[in-house]
Amino acid sequence: MLMLPELIIVATGFILLVLDLFLTEKQRDLLVPLALAGIAAALGALWLTPDHGVLLGGRFAMDPLAWWFKLTFLIAAFVTVMLTSGLLESAAPEPRKLHSPGEFLTILLFNLTGMLLLASTRDLITLYVALELATIPLFLLAAWRRDALGGEAGLKYMVIGALASALMLYGFGVLYGVTGTMRLDAMPALLHADRTTLYAAALIVAGVGFKLTLVPFHMWAPEVYQGAPPPVTAWLSVASKAAGLSVLMLVLFRVFRPFLHDVSFAIAVLATVTMTIGNLVAIVQRNILRFMAFSAISQAGYLLLGFLAGGSVGAAAMVFYLLVYAVTNLSVFAVIILHNQQTGSTELTDYRGLSQLNPLLALALMFGLFGLGGIPPLAGFVGKFLLFSVAAQAGYHWLVGVAAVNSTVSLYYYLRLVRQMYIEAPAEGAVPLKPGWMLSAGLAVTTAASMLLGVVPTVYESVRASAAAWLQSLGQ
Amino acid sequence: MGLASWLILLPFLTALGVLAVPSRRSDLIRWVALVGTGAHLVLTAFTTLQFWQLASADISMAKTATLTKLYFVERVPWFKSLGVDYLVGIDGITMSMVILTSIIIFTGVLASWNVVNRTKEFFALLLVLVTGVFGVFLSFDLFLFFMFYEVAVLPMYLLIGVWGTGPKEYSAMKLTLMLMVGSAFILVGMLALYHYAGGTTFDLTQLAQHHYPVEMQRWVFPLIFIGFGVLGALYPFHTWSPDGHASAPTAVSMLHAGVLMKLGGYGALRIGVYLLPEGAQYWGVFFMALTTINILYGAFGAIKQTDLKYFTAYSSVSHCGFVLFGVASLNLMGLKGAVLQMFSHGVMTGLFFALIGMVYGRTHTRIIPDMGGLAKVMPWLAVCFYIAGMASLGLPGFAGFIAESHVFLGGFFGNEWSDPMLTRTLTVLATLSIVVTAVYVLRGLAKVFQGPITNPHFLELTDAKLTERLATGILVLTLAIVGLVPGLLIDLIESSLLPFVNRLHATGALAVAGHP
Repeated sequence: MLMLPELIIVATGFILLVLDLFLTEKQRDLLVPLALAGIAAALGALWLTPDHGVLLGGRFAMDPLAWWFKLTFLIAAFVTVMLTSGLLESAAPEPRKLHSPGEFLTILLFNLTGMLLLASTRDLITLYVALELATIPLFLLAAWRRDALGGEAGLKYMVIGALASALMLYGFGVLYGVTGTMRLDAMPALLHADRTTLYAAALIVAGVGFKLTLVPFHMWAPEVYQGAPPPVTAWLSVASKAAGLSVLMLVLFRVFRPFLHDVSFAIAVLATVTMTIGNLVAIVQRNILRFMAFSAISQAGYLLLGFLAGGSVGAAAMVFYLLVYAVTNLSVFAVIILHNQQTGSTELTDYRGLSQLNPLLALALMFGLFGLGGIPPLAGFVGKFLLFSVAAQAGYHWLVGVAAVNSTVSLYYYLRLVRQMYIEAPAEGAVPLKPGWMLSAGLAVTTAASMLLGVVPTVYESVRASAAAWLQSLGQ
Repeated sequence: MGLASWLILLPFLTALGVLAVPSRRSDLIRWVALVGTGAHLVLTAFTTLQFWQLASADISMAKTATLTKLYFVERVPWFKSLGVDYLVGIDGITMSMVILTSIIIFTGVLASWNVVNRTKEFFALLLVLVTGVFGVFLSFDLFLFFMFYEVAVLPMYLLIGVWGTGPKEYSAMKLTLMLMVGSAFILVGMLALYHYAGGTTFDLTQLAQHHYPVEMQRWVFPLIFIGFGVLGALYPFHTWSPDGHASAPTAVSMLHAGVLMKLGGYGALRIGVYLLPEGAQYWGVFFMALTTINILYGAFGAIKQTDLKYFTAYSSVSHCGFVLFGVASLNLMGLKGAVLQMFSHGVMTGLFFALIGMVYGRTHTRIIPDMGGLAKVMPWLAVCFYIAGMASLGLPGFAGFIAESHVFLGGFFGNEWSDPMLTRTLTVLATLSIVVTAVYVLRGLAKVFQGPITNPHFLELTDAKLTERLATGILVLTLAIVGLVPGLLIDLIESSLLPFVNRLHATGALAVAGHP
């Protein structure tokens, strides 16, 4: 019962893989609704899953925060499939069409399985295996279009990803060597505040930093974001980041929590560098996908603030922000995907006059960007506010200043896109975009969520309660 | 739902109403906006009467109180675990600011009657902006306050960027970014206020009962004061203001200079001085010096301007300096002056920008040397311009005189936390600006309206239309009423300001003879 969502997703993946063999090109349009049904069933199963319990001798466990992570992964996957539907269908315009929809969806679902498992792992082996499952399929997806950019994206991603895996594996090895156990929960009692512990922690953080796009482990992001098909970029920017955060929380809170306070300054520096570099480099981007890559890098910097105070407030702030970031970023990507699908362009300037051609799409994109920039009443504001509050609580008032000024910088480049849409006139002969109903539904849902999460307190309050329960289950 | 909530909600509902109208019916859009803001004006008048009755009964209590008494309070718990409430209420300062905003937005809608390009978006954004402004004035929960503050600032980007003139994209971006950096400062201060008080509530009235450590007050106060000061055009953070005002369309300049800049003074007063009295004592004289530069710099800057909008924008920098000067003087007279100046400058500058918009709409130039003799063809506009000018240079009988005299008296009285010689010297220096103001106002007006008509094309111009007469008439009348019967407004704000002063004295032990 505890593993039901994962099992449903794996089963759906296999069904799609086998079914794909027997269908004609036209009939393959059925695969998208099928995948959606599978993810929806998994969401339903997750709803019924108890939020604590263990399986497989404690190697797989549910806890209240893992529940929220799984919810984020499943929602992100559901929306991603909705947004991709237009490119997977047999009638999609040729150069940008994604071929082999069955394989695409299967790989996506296996990737999702890895992430779902990741949130529940409790020892080094399952953690590593789940992490690889949550990473390797992404290399394939990134190179799905076998053109020059896609090839570069896939290769670069794989090489740097392998390096990150190696770093992390070294870290795990050191941890095992020192403690003699694979179980994460048993480690804190066996570790001492010495250089070896610090060394292991640094290696693991570097490895996770790759997934989370922390500076200086972010180098792969711009090329991969640009070269991968936009729906894959959307998935990668949300789910991969969520997976990274779940590993980092697992490691920092479960294993290194007694020492977290001592390294808070290092975390503060890492956060400062990440958000500042991300924001400053985003300013000069002309390609919207690279632009979103650097925006995503800076968002990772904000997320780190949650680690400054080791309590449930910090954990709740990060998980809530992750959820907000996921829906907001997907709403932005919905418009990017549609725009790219119908115009073939990824240049910022090609969004000019969008507000006059497609008022609602432009409005949704503007709300999405303002949400990422942390403007009220959008949920991004509340999310950032909570993270900043954690930093202030830990006494890092200067860091609140740095982060808030960074938000202003980010607003500068988000406004550049708003300017293209609202102030510039449309290009000669530009035609309005025609969104399919599935993409429109995905956009509407994510936009509504990115507003409501900031106004209706229910979700935050339950994340907060979960975080408190989770901290208690962690033991002191 | 009570009156305070309605005051915030009504403009937002009007914005939704505007959005519901199809965009080709631009006449209907204007009428919806006008009716909505007109209804708001009526609601404000009604609230004011109610408030008067309630507040005048409690006036003697305020003499010793250290907490502002709020009326029409509504509190709904929001983010419970953070201690965020939806908390709105009204005190005298709030009331006067709501009256100001309501008048400005109503006349602003009248003054933008001729906006033809993307009318629907224009009015909707304008009304969203003003919703934010009312929200800031009426909310007494820091979180809510900050939220509305950003809602009030951001629509400005599009309003200037889309409907502005000249280097509008540059001005819009500069304005937005500078104000956002200001709000970053405020955010740091606000989170410090929250966590130093235990991290359980954002309620302003509860935070006010917490005594913050003096060292903390000393570093947080300047953050708050400068953060809001950016919006209040505090020197040297005022540079967004001339560019922004010059590029903005008429109603936006009116709202921005008339109301939005007042949020700066209001925030510095409400959060800075109220919550951090000891920080204010420490920094008071420093900010008095900075605002003295403000006042003189703005006035001298205005002399050299040839564009009517830049001219008024620099004059606004100077006049907004009075607001912050009054706040920094930290005595009852000065604080009263600050609030009065917020009100009077709001109306006055609203009138100025409305008139400039109307003149520009006719002459298609704002360059002062290109104009001349316009009083012959547009007497109504000329007379209103003269009245605004006279109010601006502090002629008795108009609101500006009352406000400025309070500010100067307040500055001259000084306070026991700073050297009296210093505050008096600063006040004398600041007073010089009145002379400079007279120079630029009179010279400017003479060039534009008097003398022979220089451009034959001007002979065909017409005087104000009905909507324009209504807009300018209301503003002129407000200036005159406050100028002639200042007691109306002073009664409203005085009892709310007394607790500010009491708080300052409750913390400082020294008493100096001769203090008002």
